[in-house]
Amino acid sequence: MSLLEIRDLNVSFRTKASPTKVVSNLSLDIKESEVFGLVGESGCGKSLTALSIMGILPPNAYAEGLINFNGKDLLMLDRESLRRLRGREIAMIFQEPMTSLNPVLTIGYQISEVMTTHLGLSKKDAFDRAVDLLRDVKIPSPEIRVKEYPHQMSGGMRQRVMIAMAVACNPSLLIADEPTTALDVTIQSQILELLQKLREERKMSILLITHDLGIIAENAKKAAIMYAGRIVELAEAGELFNNPGHPYTMGLLDSLPKEKGKPLKPIPGTVPRPDKLPQGCKFSDRCRFVVPPCRTEEPELKEVDGRHPVRCIRAAEIKWPY
Amino acid sequence: MALLKVQSLKKHFPVKKAFGETAQWLKAVDGIDFSVDENKVFVLVGESGCGKSTVARLVLRLITPTSGRVLFDGKDIFGLDGDSLKAFRKSVQIVFQDPFASLNPRKTVFDTISEPLKIHRITEKKNMKDACAELLKKVGLGTDIMNRYPHEFSGGQRQRICIARALAVNPKIIVADEPLSALDVSIQAQIINLLQDLRKETKIAFLFISHDLKVVHYFSDTVAVMYLGKILEHAKTEDLFMEPLHPYTILLLSSAPKVKTEAFSVQRSAFSDKKLQTPNSERQPDIGEVPSPIHIPSGCPFHPRCPKRFEPCDKIIPELKEAKGRLISCHLWNPY
Repeated sequence: MSLLEIRDLNVSFRTKASPTKVVSNLSLDIKESEVFGLVGESGCGKSLTALSIMGILPPNAYAEGLINFNGKDLLMLDRESLRRLRGREIAMIFQEPMTSLNPVLTIGYQISEVMTTHLGLSKKDAFDRAVDLLRDVKIPSPEIRVKEYPHQMSGGMRQRVMIAMAVACNPSLLIADEPTTALDVTIQSQILELLQKLREERKMSILLITHDLGIIAENAKKAAIMYAGRIVELAEAGELFNNPGHPYTMGLLDSLPKEKGKPLKPIPGTVPRPDKLPQGCKFSDRCRFVVPPCRTEEPELKEVDGRHPVRCIRAAEIKWPY
Repeated sequence: MALLKVQSLKKHFPVKKAFGETAQWLKAVDGIDFSVDENKVFVLVGESGCGKSTVARLVLRLITPTSGRVLFDGKDIFGLDGDSLKAFRKSVQIVFQDPFASLNPRKTVFDTISEPLKIHRITEKKNMKDACAELLKKVGLGTDIMNRYPHEFSGGQRQRICIARALAVNPKIIVADEPLSALDVSIQAQIINLLQDLRKETKIAFLFISHDLKVVHYFSDTVAVMYLGKILEHAKTEDLFMEPLHPYTILLLSSAPKVKTEAFSVQRSAFSDKKLQTPNSERQPDIGEVPSPIHIPSGCPFHPRCPKRFEPCDKIIPELKEAKGRLISCHLWNPY
């Protein structure tokens, strides 16, 4: 059974002219206690997808479609029910832990606030639980740390605090939006290990949003590659890297430095602006396999030859490695 | 001959304390030596706070060291003044991490690129447009963009403009402080290719500062791994990635997430390497964080996080000495 089901999600920004669509017909399923990776370059709409699940889109943006979480359509819920859901059943951690913590409140207060609000615990009980949570996320001497302020902690510690806060009410879905981008590699691997451990213990699903293919390869079970607001490929993580089907995925893999001295094969050009997307396939102007029909009609995301879904009309012909 | 030579360079910053308390020092760079040869790429790699950017600023003479020397073409750069200083500034250029912050938003591309040409009187006024066009072509940009402003460009294009500006004065060495980390994967590859081409064409040396091991491996000739102001391992790139010896280097390499197709693959199991087994050398489940550079641990700076620490590590500071064809600062490899 899927925990989260997104069908034909569209996210648009209201502008002075016509609305600009930044996420288009996005559908995906996240199963229970699974890590689902959402990969893409900056501006591809991966964060906006996460924000629309949480119902915290910026005021000038709106979402349409269906987001079914545990039998509830999140886009149809009123503000009060959404508020009760957020932090309790769906929690989110962000890239920059310093800006997501309140600098003038102790971390103990901030963690226990989640539990007094959602679980109705007394202040004292919640505070005790906060200490336990800090221990769970492996913060040394939690009894002392719980009384400290965010500025007294390092970046890695702050991200641990954010995770403690997010898992305080045992959510069934954790959205992690670039959780380790601001951290050093050694800290990054610790945080990812911690997330995996918590996921196993608490049977929690994780929607892992990142631009780093390595993180997906090592951590996610399934992953979707996004480009210009669309999913262009959706597969098991291993399949995605061994047997990529979309030219964009191949291009990303080619862009990674491999054998020393060999020139890299970057994707030419830059990501188009969402209001100036090309006709037809949105990747057609940068694609090395482009044929005339690519420029007129946008391909659908569909399985070819029993393989995983790919949004490319030439998916059957193009073989990796070419 | 070495183009740039750094000798026992130190930079300590004073940390302000409350009245009556003794001043403390943040040891950003604590006695490092290295040299960069002509047409070579030397990389300093390390986590945030290890002092790698401070080294870049010292080498550029943007700040003065607490002690130690930086020799460029055999001359101490901190003794330069007047014309000799101007000549030094011309030979050493920098490309910064954030191309959004390092271009003046009120200057057109032409203004930005022609400024160094004017200051160093390289090009006559009437040839300025052609010189700019030449530079833009070199970095893969069209010549029609000269009258546009930085905000009109994407991150990758801006980084190209920064590189063109650095190339304008025909420098002998470019210091590149994390030039790729603000860019997307596909754009990173474009810029790496550009830098690689420039190396072939112009014989420029690079002092490259990075935390991204994939790029380091691909692009460099020599690598120095920095930790809390010190160099822990200094080796040829192939050697370092083929067989990292210092436990910190192993930790760095094994922490970097990788897709299978990548060239180097130090697995996490590198920690269970039999040869390195010492008593209590099991990998700690939690390796902890980098300590503050104000309170650098006694002995080896890495010992509190080191899975292989043993008797002398917390007491005796290991020297950077030769072992297995490279320089390494670790008691495991250089018995004290």
